[in-house]
Amino acid sequence: MIPRLEAILRPVAFILLVTVLCGGIFEIAGHSAFLMFNSILDGAFLGRGALEKSLRWALPLFITAVGVGISFRCGFFNIGAQGQFYMGAIFAAFAADFLLGAPAFIAVPLGILAGMAGGALWALWPGYLRLRSGTDEVITTLMGNFIAGLILVYVTSGPLKDPSGSGQQASTRILPPEFRISDSHGVSPAIIGIAAAVGLAGWLLVNRTAFGTLAGLAGRNPTMLRFQGGRIWQLGLSSFLISGALAGLAGSIELFGPSGRLASGFLPTHGFTAILVALVANFAVVATAVSALFFGGLFSAALFLPILAGLPASAIDLFNAAIALLITAEVTLGRRFRRLLGVRGGA
Amino acid sequence: MSFGEVQALADVSVDFPRGGIHAVVGQNGAGKTTFARVVAGLVRPDSGTLAINGREADLGDVSAARAAGIELVHQSFALPPSFTVAEAIEFGSGGGLGLFSRRTLLSRCRDHLRQLGMDIDPSRRIRELAIEQKQAVEIARALASRAEILILDEPTAVLPPPGIESLFGRVRRLKENGVTILLILHKTREVWAIADTITVLRDGRLIAGPVPKGTAEPDGIGRMIMGTEAVERPGKGTEAGQARGMEAATPPDADPAGPAALELRRVSTAGSEDGASLEDVSMAVMPGEIVGIAGVEGNGQVGLVKALAGLQGTSEGEIAISGRAAATLSPARRRSLGLRIIPFDRNIEGLSMTSALWENWVAGELAARPLLSPINPAKLRERCGTAIEEWGVRCDAVTQQAGSLSGGNAQKLILSREIDGTARVIVAAQPTRGLDIGASAFVRTALRDAVAEGCGILFISSDLDELFEVSDRILVMLSGRIVEELKPPYDLAAAGRAMMGGTA
Repeated sequence: MIPRLEAILRPVAFILLVTVLCGGIFEIAGHSAFLMFNSILDGAFLGRGALEKSLRWALPLFITAVGVGISFRCGFFNIGAQGQFYMGAIFAAFAADFLLGAPAFIAVPLGILAGMAGGALWALWPGYLRLRSGTDEVITTLMGNFIAGLILVYVTSGPLKDPSGSGQQASTRILPPEFRISDSHGVSPAIIGIAAAVGLAGWLLVNRTAFGTLAGLAGRNPTMLRFQGGRIWQLGLSSFLISGALAGLAGSIELFGPSGRLASGFLPTHGFTAILVALVANFAVVATAVSALFFGGLFSAALFLPILAGLPASAIDLFNAAIALLITAEVTLGRRFRRLLGVRGGA
Repeated sequence: MSFGEVQALADVSVDFPRGGIHAVVGQNGAGKTTFARVVAGLVRPDSGTLAINGREADLGDVSAARAAGIELVHQSFALPPSFTVAEAIEFGSGGGLGLFSRRTLLSRCRDHLRQLGMDIDPSRRIRELAIEQKQAVEIARALASRAEILILDEPTAVLPPPGIESLFGRVRRLKENGVTILLILHKTREVWAIADTITVLRDGRLIAGPVPKGTAEPDGIGRMIMGTEAVERPGKGTEAGQARGMEAATPPDADPAGPAALELRRVSTAGSEDGASLEDVSMAVMPGEIVGIAGVEGNGQVGLVKALAGLQGTSEGEIAISGRAAATLSPARRRSLGLRIIPFDRNIEGLSMTSALWENWVAGELAARPLLSPINPAKLRERCGTAIEEWGVRCDAVTQQAGSLSGGNAQKLILSREIDGTARVIVAAQPTRGLDIGASAFVRTALRDAVAEGCGILFISSDLDELFEVSDRILVMLSGRIVEELKPPYDLAAAGRAMMGGTA
């Protein structure tokens, strides 16, 4: 079907455009665009073990981005994925600490559930304020990110501090090996399984439940839905909670998986990148997988850039910025384009 | 002025003499709006020429058109919602860059509005205005600059009868001052009341005109507008509707012992920005009955619809739907009791213009289900397709956006959703606003059919002709109260007096 094809082609088109744009900038700045792309491609996908490294970043991004997509689709711009990701990791860390000594098959699932609850809680209060009194959720969720970051600093240097830690970053004790769901490479059947389950559940939720259709309508025109008896409260709060819970899930996976411990300021751009992932995918779940893989690849390639192309790793930031810019442009230009077509087709 | 051929219009050539009031009539989709946009420079025709005062004008250039003295008042409103009325009029009239104080601006604007007979406070914000007041401001904006040629795109669609009279008065005064006026209209009665010449468009083609009014006759113009096709509603049982239509004035034959489809007992609402709040409103709509609500807009009609829909709480009183107390129920529960709303603003309250037809169509049904209940989109699309085909909604696919439908088709989509087997009472708020003759007739027939099947209907309109045609009885609203009940045979003068607050 055409819309489905469009959903997949959209992120691809974005990526191509951004590549051309950034290539031009790098050429002007005196770097070889070809060499750069080559090393990004190598570092992200083609090199030995590159795909695995990309997946390590893409999987949590995908999980968080599915949640971001659900709240955006419903018309609630929850940009607090970063804070919800942190709170998820913090709750999971407390649960793991509490359950030390328990069998892993009980402790790890409970820890992950605690992480999801933590993330959901961190989305609950902005959601409640928004629906109760119209407080702008962009502001509250953004502020929530900083608060969660500070709570993370407190937790890692206070209650859960690793007393033997001598590093510059405060961090918690490393989890016992039986609690880990992956090694430090971050790709394991367990994590892939969780991501696949999230993808399937997210797809079903968006495409095969009343919630999915109603959320889309609420995002595009809540007034009409209210006249039709739609419960914006219920829809809105659930979309906040789902997006928070998924970011929290990604946070707890990070803890039980590759990181193995909480460190203050870990993965500081995860939530924001996840928003880009969701935007590029236009909130479609399948396209989110494609776009998460791309961003995961970029992230992983950033580690190679200085070595292979002599470029600073922040060259990747340029990519991200260009994508954010293009999305904004697409929203306005797309609307104008459609209006042009509308004039021609309409009365 | 003359035109060559354009795309949504085909090969239209027409000359309007200077001065006078020229009506351009036709059904929705006939190309009237495109025609107006071409003249105003908003649409560049693929081919053809446009001459103003004998001089060829640049095509598709708004500022050139305005410089030549052409002003267009749009059918849909384009005023910035955060502006005050005075600011919007000043901003839109393009009056120089000179400095002015807020006070001069306000007083100038107040004078201007008073001259037009519009009772609007110029310091109010556009977003606080009722839909009708917005249109009035649009007209005031266009009249504020010294237009030589003024185009009004369906200006009467949202005005109450007294408003139409004063608009026509102003238009005549402008004509005396030498302004050429193009009026895009679809009501034959209005055409006859105001126009000097008549131009008929159909399917983008020029059918006739400009014909001087003296040489035309109403039936002939009507036939030219409609073409040869009969206006019949496909599918659904038209016979019952027609039979019903013929005896619309007779009392309903419903069981008088049964509960009212809708009953309000002494309902009051707290104030809101939607015009007057309700005060002590009592009424009953029996099954099989059409009760009209007449009144100048802004007298509590919006509040009434919202209170009925459950979107605005009542401070006092009881609402019952089919005998069940509903004043504290949610909109979804009221819907499940059989309450259906055809809202005032179909582009915002009625439909999500950027959502697919089928999503719009199933919204009410899905809203009543638990959030996580599974759906089968393919099946829903199929059901929607069957339903809207039965209702004659013209579209390519149920996946296209509702915004791509014409006004009449959009309203048919809403009807197909609201008039289903379980509807007990339908609140129809200005259901024919902005629709052409054919589509309006379709809507009225559909509502009569629903009545024949036992629905009660509350028909809210500011168009008395229409209310007289459809209503079994009429309640007149003024400042949030029901001030008068009218029974057939209706008397236009008495109804007008009651609407304006005089004694009948």
